Amino acid sequence: MGGLLEATAARRSVSEDARWLLPFAVARLAATAIAIVLVSPDPAPEDLPMLAYGVTSTGLLVGGGGLRASRAVWSLDFAAGLLFVGLSGDWRSPYYLLWLTSLVLPAAALSLRRASLLAAAAPLAFLAVAFLGGPDPGRLEVRSTETLAIHLSLPFLLTLAIAYAASTVRELQRERADRERMAVQAERRRIAWELHDSAKQRLHAAHLLVSSLQGRLPDSVAATVTRAVVELESAASDMDTSLAELHSPLEGRPLDEALRARAAELGAGTSVAVSVTGRAPRLAPLIAAHVYRIAAEALTNALRHADARTVAITLEPREDQLVVGVRDDGQGMPGTVRAGATGMLAMHSRAASIGAALDVAPSDPPPGTTVRLVVPLATPQEEPA
Amino acid sequence: MIRVVVVDDHPALRAGLHTVIDAEPGIVFAGEGDGNEETLWPLLERARPDLVLLDYHLPHGDGFQLCYRIKHRMTPPQVLVYSAYASPALALPAALARADGLVDKGLGARDLFDAIRRVHGGERLLPAVSRVHLEEAGARLRGSDQALVAMLLDGATEADAAAALDDEPQVVQRQVQRILGALRLDVPAASA
Repeated sequence: MGGLLEATAARRSVSEDARWLLPFAVARLAATAIAIVLVSPDPAPEDLPMLAYGVTSTGLLVGGGGLRASRAVWSLDFAAGLLFVGLSGDWRSPYYLLWLTSLVLPAAALSLRRASLLAAAAPLAFLAVAFLGGPDPGRLEVRSTETLAIHLSLPFLLTLAIAYAASTVRELQRERADRERMAVQAERRRIAWELHDSAKQRLHAAHLLVSSLQGRLPDSVAATVTRAVVELESAASDMDTSLAELHSPLEGRPLDEALRARAAELGAGTSVAVSVTGRAPRLAPLIAAHVYRIAAEALTNALRHADARTVAITLEPREDQLVVGVRDDGQGMPGTVRAGATGMLAMHSRAASIGAALDVAPSDPPPGTTVRLVVPLATPQEEPA
Repeated sequence: MIRVVVVDDHPALRAGLHTVIDAEPGIVFAGEGDGNEETLWPLLERARPDLVLLDYHLPHGDGFQLCYRIKHRMTPPQVLVYSAYASPALALPAALARADGLVDKGLGARDLFDAIRRVHGGERLLPAVSRVHLEEAGARLRGSDQALVAMLLDGATEADAAAALDDEPQVVQRQVQRILGALRLDVPAASA
C-alpha cells in the first residue's frame, strides 16, 4: 500500500507539475544535437536509429503524461541510454549526455530518499557499462582519471540537485495549500460565528415579537401573522443548516471524496491497506457530517486497535438507504468493551441522532470486525418544498 | 405577577424580550443584563426578580456556571436557561447547575410564557439525562468528579455530598463549578 500510494503521489506530482518538462525537453534535444555533431565526421549505420530515438523519445515523453510517470518507461529510457553508450564502443560516448537526460524525470518525481538511491546507482551502472563495453571489453580503459571522475560524478550531482529542488518545490506547494485551507477554515468560522452571534439572535427576537401577537388579533390578520411565524421558524432552521454546513468536516466535498482523503491520510503512515469503494448519493449536510464522523471513527479504531492488514470501507447506495461498511481483518473486538470506550458510544449516539442503524459484529468470514451503518435516505416527499 | 430579569449578551434579543414581556399580562420585565457579573449582582439585588431568563452562551463565560452562582444566593430566583441549542446533551450540566428549566430560543412567545409560568409554579422543565450522555460526560470527568455527579443527580444536597466525601461545602462547590467547565459544550457545532 505504501508503495502504491507513493506511486500515485509521484504520478500526480508529475502530471500536475509540468515545470520539469521544458528543461527536460531542451536538455534531451541539446544532447541529441551534440551527439549528431560528434558522430557526423564518421557516422556508423547504427547511429541513425539512436539519434532518431533522442528526438522521438523527447516527443513521446513530453506528449504522454502517462508515459512520463511510468517507472517502466523510466527504466527503459535509462537502459536505452546505457545501451547506446555501450554500442558506441567507448564510454566517452557521444550518447553520454543523452543517457544523462534519462535521469531528469525520475529525479524530479521520486521522493528525495529514493532519488538519492538512484543518484548512487546511476554512476555504478555507467561504470559497469564502461567496464563491459568498449573500447576493450572486460577492461576499463582510463586515459584520463579526470574524465572518468567527471563522467561518474555528473549523474550523481545532476540527480541529487534535481531531486532536492523538486522536493523543495513540493514542500512549498504543500505548505501553501495548507495555509490556504486554514485561511478558508478561519473564514468559515468567522462567518459561522457572525451568523450565530448576530443574525440568528435577531431572528429569534423577531420570531418572539411576531409570535407574541398570535391569539390576540382579529381573524382578518391572524392568518397573516401565523404565516409570518412559520416563515421565521423556517428561516431559523435554514440558518441551522447553513451553520452545520459551515462547520461540516466535509468542507463542501462529497462524502465519498472526503472519506477517501481521510483514508489516505490515516493509512499513509501504516502498513495497513485501506480501500474506499462505492459512491455516496447527495446527503443533507448534517447527515453527511455524521456519517463521515462515524466511518472515520470506525477506521481509526480499526487502525489503532485491530492490528489489521486491510480495512475496506464500502459505500452502497440503495433505493431508500445508504449502507456504509467498515471491515477489517484484524484480531476482532475484545470480549468485554474497554472502560471509557467513548468512541463507540459516540458512534452510536451519532447514528441515533440521524435515525441510522449501527451494527458492530465479527466479520463474515472471519477474522476481524465489521461496522455496518444503515442510513435512511429521505424520500422526495419528505423533503421540505 | 412574575418578575423576570433577562440576561443575554445580544441587545436585539433583550429588546425583543422586553417588548413581548411588557405586553404579556401577569409577567413583568424587571431588568436586563448582558452577562457581565459586575453589573448582574447589583441588578439582582435591586430588581429582586422571581425568575431569571439566562442565555446559555455568554461571551464572558458559561451560562450554567453563572446559573450555579445565582442559585447560591441567599434567596435565589428561579433560573430558566435559554439556549439557541437546547439539546438533550445540556440536560446533565443544567441539572448540576440547579437550573429550573431549559428552553430553546426557537420557541414562540406563547410557549416561552408557558414555560415561565410553569417554572414559577414550581415545575422543573429539564429533559431527562440519558444514559448515552451520562456516559459521554463520564468519559470527560475524573473518578472523584464522577462520584460527585452521581450523588448530586441522585438527589443528594451539596451538604450531604460534602459530608459523604469528607470535604468542606466550599470545596464541593468549587468542584461542581470545575465540572461545569469541563462539560461545557462548544456552540455552534454540527455535532452538538
